Amino acid sequence: MILVYFRRFIWFIGLVLLQVLILNNMHIAGFATPILYLYLILKFPSSISRIELILWGFFLGLVIDIFSNTPGMNAAATTFLAFLRPSLIRLFAPKDMTGEIIPGIHTVSLSFYIKYTLTCVLIHTSVLLVIEAFSFLSWQILLLKIGLSAVLTFMGILAIEGFNKKGI
Amino acid sequence: MRNLLNFLIKYNNWLLFVFLEGISFSLLFQLNHYQQSTFFTSANAAVGSVYKLESEVTSYFYLKTANKELLDRNIELEQQLANVRAEMHRMNVDSMGIDSIMAKPLWGRNLIRAGVIGNSLDKADNYVTLDKGSDDGVRTEMGVIDRNGIVGIVYLTTRKYSIVISALNSNSSISCKIAKNGYFGSLKWEGGDARYAYLDELPRHARFSLGDTVVTSGYSDVFPAGLMVGTVDHIGNSRDGLSFKLKIRLATDFGKLSDVRIIPRVNRAGSGLLKQAAMKQSADE
Repeated sequence: MILVYFRRFIWFIGLVLLQVLILNNMHIAGFATPILYLYLILKFPSSISRIELILWGFFLGLVIDIFSNTPGMNAAATTFLAFLRPSLIRLFAPKDMTGEIIPGIHTVSLSFYIKYTLTCVLIHTSVLLVIEAFSFLSWQILLLKIGLSAVLTFMGILAIEGFNKKGI
Repeated sequence: MRNLLNFLIKYNNWLLFVFLEGISFSLLFQLNHYQQSTFFTSANAAVGSVYKLESEVTSYFYLKTANKELLDRNIELEQQLANVRAEMHRMNVDSMGIDSIMAKPLWGRNLIRAGVIGNSLDKADNYVTLDKGSDDGVRTEMGVIDRNGIVGIVYLTTRKYSIVISALNSNSSISCKIAKNGYFGSLKWEGGDARYAYLDELPRHARFSLGDTVVTSGYSDVFPAGLMVGTVDHIGNSRDGLSFKLKIRLATDFGKLSDVRIIPRVNRAGSGLLKQAAMKQSADE
């Protein structure tokens, strides 16, 4: 049990450092930044309680916020995603699937995994960028930003998933 | 009571969710309005030290380009100085006069040298984190420049770190003028490309050409007059069609900020008092 939490904590720190030291400096085409830290939220097993998941989401977002001078934005978006995640899993999981689900390419069917990841990424990116922009950017640029960032994030998550066969 | 407890147990997820979102949004609005909230920014000591470590490593990557840019700028300035000297000589002005003019913009100010440890370009509100804080004499509302041009204005400070509202921030507004003829406006950033900002509300009768130099106007205490801002890249109309809106190519490359200088404010107690009096008067009316 302690070992499980230790592993999750290492993932937490690793993903935060990856995000703030490397990914936040990437601005592909001047707009898109991959947001890979939410991999942690996507990867928890379905047996985790909703409250614990929400707390992980909040603190993950908060730490990212503190590093990138965007107080509250990432925290709000990630808490929202963590809150919705159990419903999304129920929505996309095949009806005959019972017991614990650990979302991953190697553990569940490909179509379920892609639908689930893509939806989560889109929800998170949209909430994050809409909060950030409020009425400042024109909606065309906002949509472009959301689209590009979501695609990059999705590809990044697939890449991490390819290496990480064990789960968190 | 029992019903209330049942309710709380049944909807505990919702309550936690609403509570945490509440915290997030109060943080979001707090930074905009409450200047003391340095804990939740990269000016706090733990986060600052991580970024400092990072910048100590990455600053080496930019040394070569930084050096090249410095050389270019040096040559350009020497050229200008030579031209001005020649012109002044032709007009029979003694060289003491020239020297006093050339030294004017930052005269008598001990610039504070600072390293950039955090920066962003792609958000609607970008901030720059510096490794100097109130212990080094940095105060809020000081101007920040780098070797090419202006960077922004110090927004909040802790003892060791400070945060600057970069020119690439929706709240940033820096008073600038066209160097050639003195028409002025305020420099705003409208999101998107980090290389361009806009100078709005220039009068219809003003004449400019592409490539004109834009410098700070010196109408505020923050920046002295004559610091490089950028060049005119495109001349357009403002939204109401009554004035010009210039697209400015910024001289500062915000993607490669590494070493900056903070301009201490000159002691203009008089002007501050004057401003207070004026504000009081306008509030009374």
